[in-house]
Amino acid sequence: MLEALLVAAAGIVLAFGANLVSPRGLALTRNYFPAGISRPVPAARDVANTNAPAPSSAQLLAARLKEQGLQTVDGRQAAQLFHDPRFQQGGIEFIDARDEQQYRQGHIPGACEFDPYYPEKQLATVLPICQAAEQIVVYCNGGDCDDSESAAITLRDVGIANRKLFVYTGGLPEWITNGLPVEIGGRNSGNLRTTNK
Amino acid sequence: MNTGQLSWSRMAADTFAVLARWLLGAVFLYLGLNKALHPVEFLKLVRQYDLVQSWLLLNSIAAILPWFEIFCGLLLLAGVAVRGTAVMLIVMLVPFTVLVFRRALAIQSALAIPFCAVKFDCGCGTGEVFICRKLLENFFLILFSVWLLAGYGRKLCVRHTLMSCIAKTSLIKEGRSNGSI
Repeated sequence: MLEALLVAAAGIVLAFGANLVSPRGLALTRNYFPAGISRPVPAARDVANTNAPAPSSAQLLAARLKEQGLQTVDGRQAAQLFHDPRFQQGGIEFIDARDEQQYRQGHIPGACEFDPYYPEKQLATVLPICQAAEQIVVYCNGGDCDDSESAAITLRDVGIANRKLFVYTGGLPEWITNGLPVEIGGRNSGNLRTTNK
Repeated sequence: MNTGQLSWSRMAADTFAVLARWLLGAVFLYLGLNKALHPVEFLKLVRQYDLVQSWLLLNSIAAILPWFEIFCGLLLLAGVAVRGTAVMLIVMLVPFTVLVFRRALAIQSALAIPFCAVKFDCGCGTGEVFICRKLLENFFLILFSVWLLAGYGRKLCVRHTLMSCIAKTSLIKEGRSNGSI
């Protein structure tokens, strides 16, 4: 038993040290989930105790975003904003809140990469773009993904006006399903692909 | 004849125990590395269990656990403090298995599917897995850990029991100090 305690103590100390020196290590004092830590299993609803139909995940998401004071756009509105002439002039910006690998595999054409878990990586680039924009559409993978929510809150925390921020709840999967173009690689790479409906 | 059979079965058990120790060590090393290389992904998965309400605690769990698993894996591969490490593995594996089981039950009740058809990323370091397979894997990992705790797998160990080494050192020191008086 004493040996187990020794292993536990040494392991914890070494683990803290390894996390500290690891370039991918977590910052212990950073709140990675500004929208809140608590995230009950979406599945955990007791259907037997209610006659009312259970809210859909889209309704739950909309309610949660509203609680955070964030506005939402659906697929049709996101497409309208994409085709709006102001998008070409920088008046409307799309922000991709997924990680770098996913971003490079395909994103909304012209969207800026902004991973809310490593904001220091892109904030210097994204911030002036967001400050200049009139409307900012933040998205991730739709469904249960709440990285767009975290990104929007992070942007709001650094001074972007709340009225400018919109969360595209359907995210990239819905965008692709709607047959809209996707850009591969870096921002404005010009490598566009369209998946037909 | 009987002695020969006994020694053969003893040798087979020893060999199997060493292989089990290496397998257990390699599994924990692999799982720990997978998590340590993608800490944010692991953090998100730990969050899904809704275990703690403090983000400092959540970050600490997600930061420590992968490296702790790597540490335990290396100890088992090298054969250092094997029984103490086995205790730690059991201490980690049993609650993890209960948590994974509970989450699977919640998913099953919502999706109304057979229990073994439940597939999700449990944050175990292997991506999405079918729950029954995961539970079976964990059962064997716990079984191997209990076996090592029972004292098997002593062969090819750098230092199987750490405490006996410490006790010996203190005895030698004690003897020296007594002699000098």
